[in-house]
Amino acid sequence: MPAFTFLSFALRNLKRKPLRTAMLVFSIALLVSALVFILSFVRRVDSVIKVTSDRLGSDIIVVPAGSRGAAEDILLENKVKSFYMDMAVMDKLRHIKDIDALTGQTYLVSIVGQCCDVPETIVVAFNQDSDFIIKPWLVKKLGRKLGKGEAIVGSESAMNISVGLTEVDSVLFGNMFKMLGVLEKTGTGLDTAIFIDESNIGDILKSGKTILKPEQISIIFVRVKKGADPVAVAGKIEDSIIEVDAVARKDIGRNILDTLRDLNRIFIVTVAIASMLSIALVWAVFSAIANERAWEIGVIRAIGARQSHVSRFFLIEVLFIGCIGSILGILAGTAVSILLAKHFMLLKNVTADLGMIERLLIALISFVAGVGICIIGALSPIQRLKKMEPLLAIKGD
Amino acid sequence: MAQIEIRDVSKIFTVGDLQIRAVDDVSLGIEKGEFLSIVGHSGSGKTTFLSIIGGIMKPTSGRVLFEGKDISSLDDAGLSGYRNNTVGFMFQFASLLPILTAWENVLLPCLFGSGCDVNDKKRAEELLHLVGLGDKINAYPSQLSGGQQRRVAIARAFMNAPEVILADEPTGDLDEETEAEIMELFKKLNREQNVTFIFITHNLDLARQAQKQIRMTHGVIKEI
Repeated sequence: MPAFTFLSFALRNLKRKPLRTAMLVFSIALLVSALVFILSFVRRVDSVIKVTSDRLGSDIIVVPAGSRGAAEDILLENKVKSFYMDMAVMDKLRHIKDIDALTGQTYLVSIVGQCCDVPETIVVAFNQDSDFIIKPWLVKKLGRKLGKGEAIVGSESAMNISVGLTEVDSVLFGNMFKMLGVLEKTGTGLDTAIFIDESNIGDILKSGKTILKPEQISIIFVRVKKGADPVAVAGKIEDSIIEVDAVARKDIGRNILDTLRDLNRIFIVTVAIASMLSIALVWAVFSAIANERAWEIGVIRAIGARQSHVSRFFLIEVLFIGCIGSILGILAGTAVSILLAKHFMLLKNVTADLGMIERLLIALISFVAGVGICIIGALSPIQRLKKMEPLLAIKGD
Repeated sequence: MAQIEIRDVSKIFTVGDLQIRAVDDVSLGIEKGEFLSIVGHSGSGKTTFLSIIGGIMKPTSGRVLFEGKDISSLDDAGLSGYRNNTVGFMFQFASLLPILTAWENVLLPCLFGSGCDVNDKKRAEELLHLVGLGDKINAYPSQLSGGQQRRVAIARAFMNAPEVILADEPTGDLDEETEAEIMELFKKLNREQNVTFIFITHNLDLARQAQKQIRMTHGVIKEI
């Protein structure tokens, strides 16, 4: 004989109207999947910005005035852009108090068929003596400095350029470069770049295949002295050198975060409305269920069921719908967040993905929200039903 | 002392501005093992009166004492325990849960008690055999006739070996033969197990089979 328990009783009740049960599960799954997608999206962008600014190893970035957005696009979103300022800015920076070290990078845009035989990407020319941005990764991979005519590529560009196990020769701005290998993933926008030593700039300028002019530089990374406040130093830089923007580490990506915050508000309002609709749906369905089963509840109350037993019956049903809906929603939402992420401009070029713990946390929050919405929606009909006098429930009064 | 003492019990329903006295200041004592019938016209308050005795409706005033204990003062757990262990209720309509088999419907009261063990499961089967439905254990209510459903409800009322059986027109829509069989079963259980029986009927012949008969009119006991 089949098991006869509260659980089996509740599950059989759910099977009475399979379509209604399926619709409830589906609506909860839909809500939870939206929640998972939104949380994943927001968290991913947020973590990319934090990881990138941390890994850059720089306290302040200095770029030409008005180019802050473009610099963030390159560093955070792997976008291909160029901007230049006078190299004399470096000398001016050296006179500012509290600056411990600085290093410059020049960004060149490769255009296939015109200057280069690699797909469009950023070519970063940097000073290996002063550098503290690329060096840790370069030492790890190469164990020596890059020579003239040598290049190393970021992890995300390796596939495009077919660099990997073997060295490849490529033309960059009319000069032949030997691609020595692939850097380890840094988790920054520079993962899609190609790196060359600053000493190659002269030959590149001679080729005439770039808009770069002599004595120009794109960005300066600044490290402040121990105990100095990067925000204060950045302010000092902007006050002293009018032609630059200085962005402290914690402010890197602020523009994106501000945009994201607006997006967040839209998402929160959308999810709040969807949650209220789901609560209303669950309430309506469970009110209908309560009316349908009022006489049955009256009967079981008459033969000894307590109010808590009635709650237990319905809560098992609610929890079942909530749990199944939430699990399906989490799976769907995670899949959508992975598959569709690349279709969002904001996430298109970011390299870092969410870790397992973050994904589990998002799943847990969404699960609790899904189940909670079910319980909140069903609470009032359950309360009403369990408090009815058995005879009145049986008579349907 | 009577097993059940009903003292000055009234039940008033309010419908809009109208107040209906379904049970009007009724007092009655029922001895253990008594076989009592209640007759009266529709709307005379019989079902309300029986429901108050069974603890499935609270009186507006007055008290119902079971073996000296006031059931009106019990909390939900106490009252549910009374309904579960002390009283077996039979309704005037088919009251089986459609998603449960005959056996599960009979077993239902133990689910709300201390849980169903092997003995309970065996007892449910035995009760179904006792009411002549040993071959319908796994049948769902929709697969049973009206008479068979009544028998399942009777078996369920006996599941937790109650001291009192309250039956609201237990043979209401049954044919004469089935009605007679069920009355015989009631008498047998009353005789052999000393269970108190209180049943409502419109059938005066059936009412006369009881040791004691009462008539209700407009919520008042008129005749004993």
